[in-house]
Amino acid sequence: MLARPVAASQAPLLARPYYSEQGTSPIVTSLAHVPEALAVTMPFIATVLGPSAIGARTKELAILRTSARLGCEYCVSSHSVVALDSGCTAAEVSALRVGTDEGDAVFSASERALLGWVDAVAGATGAVAPTAAADLAAHYDEAEIVELTLLCAATVMLNRYCTALGLPVSAATVERLAAEGL
Amino acid sequence: MGAVADAIAGGGMGGRLWLYSNYHCNLSCSYCLTESSPGVRRRVLDAAAILAGAREARELGFTGVGITGGEPFLLEWMPALLAELAEILPVIVLSNATLFTGRRLAALEPLAGLPVRIQISLDSASPQENDAMRGPENFAKAVAAIPALVERGIGVRIATTLEDPAGQDPAERDRLCELHRSLGIGDEDHIVRPIIRRGRAVAGDMGLAVGFDEIEPELTITADGAFASPFGPTVRAGELDTDLLVTRTVAPLSVPAGALARLVGSAESGRDARLGIR
Repeated sequence: MLARPVAASQAPLLARPYYSEQGTSPIVTSLAHVPEALAVTMPFIATVLGPSAIGARTKELAILRTSARLGCEYCVSSHSVVALDSGCTAAEVSALRVGTDEGDAVFSASERALLGWVDAVAGATGAVAPTAAADLAAHYDEAEIVELTLLCAATVMLNRYCTALGLPVSAATVERLAAEGL
Repeated sequence: MGAVADAIAGGGMGGRLWLYSNYHCNLSCSYCLTESSPGVRRRVLDAAAILAGAREARELGFTGVGITGGEPFLLEWMPALLAELAEILPVIVLSNATLFTGRRLAALEPLAGLPVRIQISLDSASPQENDAMRGPENFAKAVAAIPALVERGIGVRIATTLEDPAGQDPAERDRLCELHRSLGIGDEDHIVRPIIRRGRAVAGDMGLAVGFDEIEPELTITADGAFASPFGPTVRAGELDTDLLVTRTVAPLSVPAGALARLVGSAESGRDARLGIR
């Protein structure tokens, strides 16, 4: 591993609030090497990926589709569990984990517009397809468009961070996914 | 005033900025916080970085600078740096004083009369006991260097580090005080402090265990980042401790200083809460 996890006993002062006796995310234990970065990154992640004006299910659709497109094993596995806990069915999660639109028929029209937007933002370079933007605008207001786009972009950042550093998927996550047939 | 100056003026954060100039040392003391010895990685802070840190420290509201290591005087440029630092803020520099002979002693002469004090370690009035902790001939070299510095008008303070200061034999304490007075160092310039259970002292099963709640927060800059105390950037089994790390960023100094001021503020609130004041 490029950056060994910082143990709780060595957690820097700014990192300590993010450590938990119940277990600490490898995102935290790796960022703890640079505590001032952790101290702004974790609140940013919590704001962008956590509870907000947009429902958890909608947000997890965007996160999981982004992560699947970027091929991030850590994020796909972790957010498959979060998606299940946010009201997605195992079939929906399974469709999202593919990372293409082939299983999108199971989603509503607004959700398909969002997934099309994610594909255009996270799965391509250069300008984003105008058709994807038009589809999105038909279902979401400006504040939602900004928040969902930031969510997709932040997830891309996390995907590359977790993949590049080879962050490990927890045993509990692997176990839960196996129990769900995923 | 800014948040840093407020924290210093309020007493929540020490007014002295500490800088670890280097980690290597010509000694290998049994209780060394940083496992310093001749062969360790040097991790030198260059003189320009130290001067820049001191200048910004003065602007932020710090009232003094401390240089420690390692043995700072293994760096040839240390005496010249100290003279420059003294124009910015009063300076204290920690040393084992074993290098203060000949050319190196002469290089210190420009420090006479400047607000620079050299804090020299001397752990016992007994050469055998002192040298058992600090290495062969340390006692003889230190007691030779101290009056040589005093004669040249250079400020000197003596620091004695003990396993149990409160339990020190009064007769031994009297012998030590007679010794430092005979070397030209008054009682006001003799400090006695406990061994801190970090670094090499852990392997030796020595000293007092401390955490953030037990220390006086003093911003400490090293080549590895900024720490909450000069007791922070310790090394155990070759690994740097990070439990008292504040930030990896050391310049601009406002980044770690601001972070430590915020930590001090939140810790003080917590202490109050635990005491039931709020």
